[in-house]
Amino acid sequence: MSEKRVLVVDDEIHIVHVVAIKLRNNGYDVITANNGAEAFELACREDPDIIVTDFQMPVMTGLELARKLRETEATRDIPVILLTARSFAISQEQQDELQISECISKPFSPKELLGSIEDILYQKELVADN
Amino acid sequence: MRLGRNLYVIVTVIVTCSLLVGGLGAWQNSGTEEGWSFAGLGLIVLICYLLGAVGVVWLGWYWLSLAGRITSIAGWLKKDGQARIKPGGNPAINALSEAINERFDAYTNHISELETEIKELQIQIQLSQRREKNTEAIIYSIRDAVIVIDEFDKLLMANEAAGRLFGFDFQNSQHKLLGELISTDKSKFVDFLSRCRKSKGRATRQEMKLAEEGRPKTFDCIVSCVYDQREQVCGAVAVLHDITREKEISRMKNDFVSHVSHELKTPLASITAYSEMLADGEAGDEETRKEFYSVIQNQAKRLNRLIEDVLNTSRIESGLIKVSKEPVSLTILIEEQLQMIRSFAEEKNVEVTGQKPIVFDQVNVDKDMISQVIVNLLSNAVKYTHSGGSVKVETEVDEIAGLTRVRVTDTGVGIPESEIEHVFDKFYRVGVNKKQAKGTGLGLNLVKQIVEKVHNGRVFVTSQIGVGSTFGFELPLAAREKVKAV
Repeated sequence: MSEKRVLVVDDEIHIVHVVAIKLRNNGYDVITANNGAEAFELACREDPDIIVTDFQMPVMTGLELARKLRETEATRDIPVILLTARSFAISQEQQDELQISECISKPFSPKELLGSIEDILYQKELVADN
Repeated sequence: MRLGRNLYVIVTVIVTCSLLVGGLGAWQNSGTEEGWSFAGLGLIVLICYLLGAVGVVWLGWYWLSLAGRITSIAGWLKKDGQARIKPGGNPAINALSEAINERFDAYTNHISELETEIKELQIQIQLSQRREKNTEAIIYSIRDAVIVIDEFDKLLMANEAAGRLFGFDFQNSQHKLLGELISTDKSKFVDFLSRCRKSKGRATRQEMKLAEEGRPKTFDCIVSCVYDQREQVCGAVAVLHDITREKEISRMKNDFVSHVSHELKTPLASITAYSEMLADGEAGDEETRKEFYSVIQNQAKRLNRLIEDVLNTSRIESGLIKVSKEPVSLTILIEEQLQMIRSFAEEKNVEVTGQKPIVFDQVNVDKDMISQVIVNLLSNAVKYTHSGGSVKVETEVDEIAGLTRVRVTDTGVGIPESEIEHVFDKFYRVGVNKKQAKGTGLGLNLVKQIVEKVHNGRVFVTSQIGVGSTFGFELPLAAREKVKAV
């Protein structure tokens, strides 16, 4: 089985760094971006298996990124996990509409984030197999 | 009177003629039987006429007294309304007098009742006029716009604030239809007022956006119906309270809470994640561990800085902050803060440069507070500058003015001209730059408070979109302050 690729997006480089280390330590291939626009470009080019993005970022927010991903054929089915420091950042309707797999609020546990990524990728594989 | 006089004349002529006829007859036939009979006849006639004369005199007297009484009653009626007609004399006249007296008493009582009523009415009118004046004074002194309409939606009363809001002059607008006085862009208010009046409700409230002198504003509009004595609606009163500022403050507070919680959670997220990684042994080697510890330390400092910003803002505002001033060199303070900001600037790939120390730049300041001013200006400059840009700090001493001036110039995004005057306002964040970086809208306000309120200095800013901004402050030199004190 090939290495799963995770795109980690946050304007806080410390967060990107720590998540990348956690994922790499657990056998994932990690690519990173500091804002939504950069992330979209990477997503189109690198075809990640899953995207972990911050909600509030300069240039393009996590929500705008998710919308753009869903509007683009090549990136439509990539699962997205939203990290947010804001309570009630998005509504359930928005989450369903943009097919955001999970919203994780900051401060978060890298361990739990890893667990969520594994769950989502496992489910994705099951769906693909069926 | 004339009749009485004529009667007297007639009686006197008759008596005289009788005496002449009797005397002449007696004189011609004196000594004869005929003479005596003439004399006797004359005497009888005389007696008869004397009796008639007495009767006539009595009648005349009676008539005269009656006329006199009536005349005196007429005179009394004409002259005096207070005295009563005295009884006496003729019973018929007495009866008449009594009737007149009774009627007069009744009229007098009625008049005095009417006079009392008139006095009461006059008092009520005066009270009503005073109440009206009081109401007018109250309405005119209210800063909120107040409009009073009648049951036909015609304007009865309006104060200056209402005139200003709706663009009419009350003196020339009274009793005109409100719909004709207020421009169509504010017709929703007229409709609301009219609807409330028709609904006959006691009080109706609605938030309404209306433009005043071209500026959009929000009003809390309360309309109460006015009821007459029969409990029928005879008009309505509308009070429009300007809540634009309250809404703005409330919005800014909400934004502030949201920003602060976000700003607090961001370093906290790093601390939590890195400490968990350390605890789980995910930092493989000593170098990584050291790096993790360093991140935790820096993020904890960032958290502390933010909390200090929030606390200091409220402390300075409430005047509870303890200020301990001492002579320090601004250049040294700047150098210390430059060291602190460098790691953040390097992360963003922004070059930060200072300048060589100036020897005579001693200022008498609270070291911690001015350090916070410098770090806030520096971190803002780095935050709003793109990767590859630069931030430059300059200090100069103006000996003539007796002050030192610090300038922090960046090559960042810049601030629109329309927003530049608000950048030092509490919670204010430049709209177009919100996406550029996170913030609470407190940092620059704190800079202003510390420099101007605590140190009698001055803050300034110049900016150009796409070119960059210069933020700075001036503080009095310690030497100059000493001279002033002496």
